[in-house]
Amino acid sequence: MPVATMPITPTAPAPANDRQGLLVIDDLSKRFPTPDGTVTAVDHVSLSVRQGEFFSVIGPSGCGKSTLFNVIGGLLGDYDGNVTVAGERISGPHPSVGMVFQEESTFPWRTVIENVSFPLEIEGMAKAKRHEKARHFIHMVGLDGFENRYPSELSGGMRQRVSLARTLASEPKILLMDEPFAALDEQTRLLLGDKVLQIQEELKQTTMLITHNITEAVQLSDRIMVMTYRPGKVKRVVDIDLPRPRSSEIVGSDAFGHYVAQIWNDLREEASRGLTEDEGRRVARVHR
Amino acid sequence: MAETGRLRQAAITSPLLSPVTLVRLAIIVGLLALWEAVAASGWLYRDVVPSLLAIGRAIAALLSNPEYYWHLGVTAGEVATALAIGGLSGVLVGLVLGGSPFLSKAYEPYLYYLGPTPKIIFFPIMIMWFGVGPSSKIALGTMSCFFPIALSVAAGMRQIDPVLIRVGRSFRLSAWQMAWKIYLPAMRHPIINGVRLGLGVAIIGTLLAETKLSNRGIGYLIIQAYSLFDMPRMYALLIVLFVLAIGANALVGRFGGLDSIKRF
Amino acid sequence: MSAAALTRIPGLPAAVGFGTLVVAALVAEALIRAGVINQFIVPLPSQIVASFERVITEEHLFDRFLTTFKECFAAAVLITIVGVSVGALLHRVDLLRRATETWVAAAASAPTVLMYPLFMVIFGRSMTTIVMMAFVAGLPPVILKTIEGLSGTRRVLINVGRSFKLTESQMFRKILFPAAMPTIFVGLKLGLIFALINVVGVEFLINFGGLGQLINDLAERYDLAGTYAAICFVILVSVVFFVIIERIERWLRPAD
Repeated sequence: MPVATMPITPTAPAPANDRQGLLVIDDLSKRFPTPDGTVTAVDHVSLSVRQGEFFSVIGPSGCGKSTLFNVIGGLLGDYDGNVTVAGERISGPHPSVGMVFQEESTFPWRTVIENVSFPLEIEGMAKAKRHEKARHFIHMVGLDGFENRYPSELSGGMRQRVSLARTLASEPKILLMDEPFAALDEQTRLLLGDKVLQIQEELKQTTMLITHNITEAVQLSDRIMVMTYRPGKVKRVVDIDLPRPRSSEIVGSDAFGHYVAQIWNDLREEASRGLTEDEGRRVARVHR
Repeated sequence: MAETGRLRQAAITSPLLSPVTLVRLAIIVGLLALWEAVAASGWLYRDVVPSLLAIGRAIAALLSNPEYYWHLGVTAGEVATALAIGGLSGVLVGLVLGGSPFLSKAYEPYLYYLGPTPKIIFFPIMIMWFGVGPSSKIALGTMSCFFPIALSVAAGMRQIDPVLIRVGRSFRLSAWQMAWKIYLPAMRHPIINGVRLGLGVAIIGTLLAETKLSNRGIGYLIIQAYSLFDMPRMYALLIVLFVLAIGANALVGRFGGLDSIKRF
Repeated sequence: MSAAALTRIPGLPAAVGFGTLVVAALVAEALIRAGVINQFIVPLPSQIVASFERVITEEHLFDRFLTTFKECFAAAVLITIVGVSVGALLHRVDLLRRATETWVAAAASAPTVLMYPLFMVIFGRSMTTIVMMAFVAGLPPVILKTIEGLSGTRRVLINVGRSFKLTESQMFRKILFPAAMPTIFVGLKLGLIFALINVVGVEFLINFGGLGQLINDLAERYDLAGTYAAICFVILVSVVFFVIIERIERWLRPAD
């Protein structure tokens, strides 16, 4: 597959009134009161995620990406600006938004199939029907045969797949993932990344991934938004013009390397800025 | 962020009138009113629920009677002795067991499984061995508090950060110095908790023994009130006892630097 | 051989522990036979063992055990239902919890069993007194642990529930309560142990009921060997009970 040198054209943040976006964030700001004063976690961020797109948000630690995740997921309110999904404003967890959390989130007292069928159980679906449906998603994440196991019998990567299957079972319009593979080793991450790609292909699932792992972001995404250090603004939005369907083999290609290098530069700038600011704040506090 | 199932905290106007205080007052007043209503109605036979006034008078009579304080002294002396003997031996045994994995595996199970046995059933044996005087009560109190203290100390020993032990060894401390300067200070919390628990069960063990066979002490007074059917007096004795016991527990906790009387 | 190596020999520490007991019993036997210890204060261990059979058959040990068991069971049911409900209620109504939680903790450390003369007045020398005393003693830990378990639910699990827009009732039934089960069980274990201790203890004190009453009876008849034997039985029952509870606990929390 010929991969010509791709000019890395940073596109401007999507226009605020891009109605074709499934998820539209318009001038979002979120502030928190702290003992040291008001902290702005997210600062006038605008973006738009199109139907069927895989959109990643990447940034240094402390850049507000988890805040963004929680706002879109409806777990944090009290924000300035507009966040809409399929035209409806977000003010609390929205049924069209599916969340996959970073931490261990499977229910330890339920088997795999009981975990995955949880959203269907809430909807009131009959047991036989929801187990059948759950099996479909369990198969999709590659956990056939583990339906009746408990999470404690599975590895960390497998448990995250259960969480993913559970969220997919609720068939959300947009899938929101906050560093779901952060606790896993590199090889498992790559393989799970493959899985996620397959799933996204098959379901044409609109996905937003929050991550700090550049390789992962470039491997999976159509577009990547780089955030600045706190207060988090949009530094750059990068079009990832790598052909689909993708696999983990693409990690070795030249174009891949170019994208990674450029984003790495951006992040390095922000991360070092973050380090110096942090240190300065700590010194100031000691000398107060 | 709203949490399911919790009421939002009401604004606090001043510490004295905080919602928590108001609720507590409401509960107390409500219960007292209910009590008085039952007492006045005569619904339960005779004096089983005496009026609050009668109880109040009985408490006053109790606290102004020097004889009461003599009995209190007897009980307090018994409990203190029991705690001293049981506590000291408990700490020693705990240190030994905690420090030696071999001895711990050999003997600690016996302590562990004997712990949750009602000690009062040993009272006849204690009477045989120590007679009907205060010694048998002290013995029962000692038995009661030995187990939780020994087990707490043994567990506390094993939880000490190994690095601290290595520091002690690197300074070539003797066994006595290790115990006094490293182990005991490092185990403040388990020891205090063990002593608190020990105090509680020592009080219970000693007092129960007094109710069973004694002619002095608070336990004796309680059973005497029972046999004389002097209900206001019994309530008075119990109320004062509970206040003292809970107070003692809280004091030990505060002395040990813990801020609540939760012990689990 | 170092102490650590000795510890690792399987069964050796346990054998030493048990062996010490046997040796102590043999020494006691010898001392009593020699007259050093008065045999009217400490009966011969051999005599105690001999009286086991007599106690079992003549004193209807099994029937008494059943009586004690019934009392414990009744107390356990009451403690579980009331304790978990009150705990859940206090968790739900935060203001009530903040007002009363310290009171419950105080009740846990108070010498409640000393109210037995009072309960005797109200309920008579009966099973009701015994069950009520055990109930009062075992209730506080269940309430406290229920509150602790429910409020200690991991944040991420609550967030999962919120992300699926669960109603309050669903949140409680499907997430909070199952997540709290291990802690609630610890509370039930503690409550049950306190209940058992109080059942046997009060049986002894009021001379009514099963095993506790047996000990009191034998002691008042000056049947020394029998008294010791009965005490041994009670210890055995208490140990077995405790072991069973621990096994159940380990079965419920395999992750630990």
